[in-house]
Amino acid sequence: MPGKDIDLSIEFLGKTFKNPFLLSSSPVSNSAEMVARSFDAGWSGVVFKTLNSDRLPIIHPSPRMNSYHYGDKRLVGLQNVEQISDRPLKDNLVDFLYLKKHYPDHILISSIMGFSNDEWAYLAKASEDNGADMLELNFSCPHMCIEGTGHHVGKAFDLIEKFTATVKSTVSIPIIAKMTPNITDMNEPAMYAKNGGADAISAINTVSGISEIGLDDLVPKPNVFGVGAVSGTSGPAIKPIGLHFIADMAKCDDLALPLSGIGGIETWVDALEYILLGSSTIQVTTGIIHYGYRIVEDMIEGLSDFMREKGIARVQDLVGRALENVKTTNHFDLDRQGISQYDLDRCVGCGQCYTVCMDAAGQALEWDAKNRRPRLIEEKCLSCMICSFVCPVPDLITFKEMPQTWNRKETAVMDPDLEKEIAHEPFIATSTEGGNECLC
Amino acid sequence: MSYADNFKKMKPGLDFGQAVAEADRCLLCHEPPCSTACPANTQPGTFIRKLRMKNITGAIRTIKENNILGGACGVLCPTARLCEKECSATGIGRPIEIGKIQRFLVEQSWERNLNLFDTPNPRNEKIAVVGSGPGGLSCAAELAKKGFPVTVFEARPEPGGVLRYGVVSYRFDLDFLEKELGDVKSLGVEFKCNTRIEGDRGAEKLLENGYSAVFLAPGLWGAMRLAPEKEPSEGLFTSVEYLAALRDGRLEEIASQVEGKTVAVIGGGSVAMDCIESAAKLGAEDVYLVYRRSWMQMPAEEDERIESLEAGVHYLLLNQPTGYRTDEKNRLTGLKMVRTRLGESDDSGRRRPEVIPESEWTLDAVMVIEAIGNRAESDSSRWYPNVDVDDKLLIKADPETGTTSTPGIFAGGDIVRGPALVVNAVQDGKLAAKAIQEYLKE
Ligand SMILES: Cc1cc2nc3c(=O)[nH]c(=O)nc-3n(C[C@H](O)[C@H](O)[C@H](O)COP(=O)(O)OP(=O)(O)OC[C@H]3O[C@@H](n4cnc5c(N)ncnc54)[C@H](O)[C@@H]3O)c2cc1C
Ligand SMILES: Cc1cc2nc3c(=O)[nH]c(=O)nc-3n(C[C@H](O)[C@H](O)[C@H](O)COP(=O)(O)O)c2cc1C
Ligand code: SF4
Repeated sequence: MPGKDIDLSIEFLGKTFKNPFLLSSSPVSNSAEMVARSFDAGWSGVVFKTLNSDRLPIIHPSPRMNSYHYGDKRLVGLQNVEQISDRPLKDNLVDFLYLKKHYPDHILISSIMGFSNDEWAYLAKASEDNGADMLELNFSCPHMCIEGTGHHVGKAFDLIEKFTATVKSTVSIPIIAKMTPNITDMNEPAMYAKNGGADAISAINTVSGISEIGLDDLVPKPNVFGVGAVSGTSGPAIKPIGLHFIADMAKCDDLALPLSGIGGIETWVDALEYILLGSSTIQVTTGIIHYGYRIVEDMIEGLSDFMREKGIARVQDLVGRALENVKTTNHFDLDRQGISQYDLDRCVGCGQCYTVCMDAAGQALEWDAKNRRPRLIEEKCLSCMICSFVCPVPDLITFKEMPQTWNRKETAVMDPDLEKEIAHEPFIATSTEGGNECLC
Repeated sequence: MSYADNFKKMKPGLDFGQAVAEADRCLLCHEPPCSTACPANTQPGTFIRKLRMKNITGAIRTIKENNILGGACGVLCPTARLCEKECSATGIGRPIEIGKIQRFLVEQSWERNLNLFDTPNPRNEKIAVVGSGPGGLSCAAELAKKGFPVTVFEARPEPGGVLRYGVVSYRFDLDFLEKELGDVKSLGVEFKCNTRIEGDRGAEKLLENGYSAVFLAPGLWGAMRLAPEKEPSEGLFTSVEYLAALRDGRLEEIASQVEGKTVAVIGGGSVAMDCIESAAKLGAEDVYLVYRRSWMQMPAEEDERIESLEAGVHYLLLNQPTGYRTDEKNRLTGLKMVRTRLGESDDSGRRRPEVIPESEWTLDAVMVIEAIGNRAESDSSRWYPNVDVDDKLLIKADPETGTTSTPGIFAGGDIVRGPALVVNAVQDGKLAAKAIQEYLKE
């Protein structure tokens, strides 16, 4: 393991985590036996599987998950219909006691979800009394059908505030509100949570989705004895959504709460991206469902090596470092333009660039069939770069800026003679609504 | 000369995209069988997982922490019968090309100029290592990592052992060797080349002259001989002489002797393969491999044998050399042989060649290379007379620790095992380094 000089520890809600990497609330954090093994592997803390109060029996559908494969790639997404913990509350609390006793330096966060004010208060108190260092309020489980639970709360902002306030008045340990991504703007519900007394926000829970339908029975998967449903999607496929919500909240001056990033994290690179956009801690489920707890070793080592290479000693100093570069699209300098450039010495001659440039871009490539090579017509290149996305040879196609004097050729019309037949008047704006610039 | 560049350089390894694609095929097994199968505990299961998880520096660290010659092993290990033999992916297709990924990662460490090891707390006890082959390098690196001042004594002008003066350069080139040696040197290991440990009790005197422990890894630089009645004065080489000549500056000289001529190599092992294929590559008109048993009994790896066929080698199986024909100036003109057939199995489990009576014949050849085995140099035990050796002059050492019959003297590599592999010598060096630290505690 690298460097004594690197400090991965991080302060979050008054506690020191020995690194930013936590298990998120899910089957990966279902029992003390599992969590203890994860701590041994290197995870610094856990958000325990969401507790239930034993008021209603919790029975998980069977089967409860489905994998979203993409070609040969396994598990780019995961679909699940799991409920909150099906264990008796007592068992979960006994496991809390075990973890605090045997892993006092690791952080135990209790995830709770109630159906009413008093149930939220009851679960919060039980957690605090049995050693939880913090609470995470699950306002985001997408499988709760009853109004006033799960993500229905996450979408009914006044309930977020009400339940948070109830918990706040019951316990003295810090409170994290876990948000659903199944909304357009997360800053607003996050503000409700803050007003209710939340000390931090975690995001995201699973994204509502359908990833596969059985083609023989026409039932969405997982197929629970003939029944499918809209359910929660997680894993690498949802990372862009998680990053965007985290960045939005981190940039919101009114909110100004610490953040815990979740959604599609597998490697240190994913974790770092969440950190750079403002997360102090990050949480993982699907990455562990895919590879097991062992991936934390690579997160620790990979992040440490990155920091050493960049001369950054404390992970704290990375939090939010990329935020200043996340701007709105009207900040782009449209006077600067570029094109693709090809290092044809390394070309293997597949011609995928040609196919996509013809059918989805600027028809800026010619195909030399004899030598099986593309040839770029520079003034037609749109710089969309899709050719580089499909090229199998790394960095064969790269972007280069063109001089200001360079001009792109306009896309030609098929038959200029038809211009005399055109029925068309130029658009003249009659009001100033909508501003003078548009980028969409 | 046009062949020279091809001859001196290895083919390029995987590039980044190829390595990642190959690592993507890995099944990331629980208790990876490849890791268990590596004789030097290089942990392919772990370094491939690290590559998959974008933890590239970590992947390199895993290799180099466990095997300072991870690059050499990636290139030279017969992986088909080591790690890759156990690969679970074989069950759904073909094994992961572990050796190639390993080579790629080590090359990355050079490209990225990585400094993988923390500076240790310095120790006082000086350690002497005799021989700078894989065994010596591994032991030296391991002890240097722990802060010991280590001096490597090497008889030849440059360090590397077989890696420099044995293996042919198109399989393992100088540039690669220098870079991997650089990794050992950067740990602070001191090399004293052109410094043969010799004379009465030479090794033991190191202990008397301020070294707290000695590791012996002099390898096998004597050649087994055919011992014919009459030796030609020109045209006959042992594999040791011939292969060293290809790498110590005499390549052009050898090439001019071989070009357009008929060359025969006697032997069926990996060393014979290096001799015969190199002769073919240097432009010999006809190259014959002479082996007294058959294809199935050859100790050389299967891929090496097939490669030699593709290089144009003619196989003279079931032929046993008996002597040399020479001209009036005693220059070699031919190799005398008898034909054989296979009889009962011998101690090695391979069927024994039996001479077919009255089948003598002579192959015209101006150069013959005897590649029938390496053994300890005949005077070797003079410089360690109190270290027990067996009847083949191999040092008797504990396989787990390298401990010999003389306290403070440890040994490993080919001088203990007989002809073995780079990866075995690396492991011996590591184990001895551990045992030396234990010994110094007492
Ligand atoms: C031609 C050839 C090809 C091979 N190909 C492969 C291969 O592809 N893959 C593989 O895994 N293995 C291969 N091997 C085997 C492998 O190279 C050896 O197992 C390995 O090198 C043994 O390492 P070593 O450290 O014991 O000895 P060596 O590599 O033999 O090094 C011993 C060193 O000690 C020095 N020395 C000897 N006596 C003294 C002294 N008295 N004082 C000072 N220095 C001394 C020698 O000069 C030499 O440099 C090959 C071997 C040969 C000969
Ligand atoms: C099978 C499964 C069960 C989950 N159960 C819970 C839960 O009980 N409480 C909760 O807050 N989140 C739950 N989640 C959501 C995860 O904690 C996490 O927010 C989400 O999966 C996104 O992260 P990921 O992409 O790393 O999986 C569950 C996710 C999965 C896949
Ligand atoms: S992973 Fe384990 S619990 Fe899940 S279906 Fe397979 S065997 Fe059963």
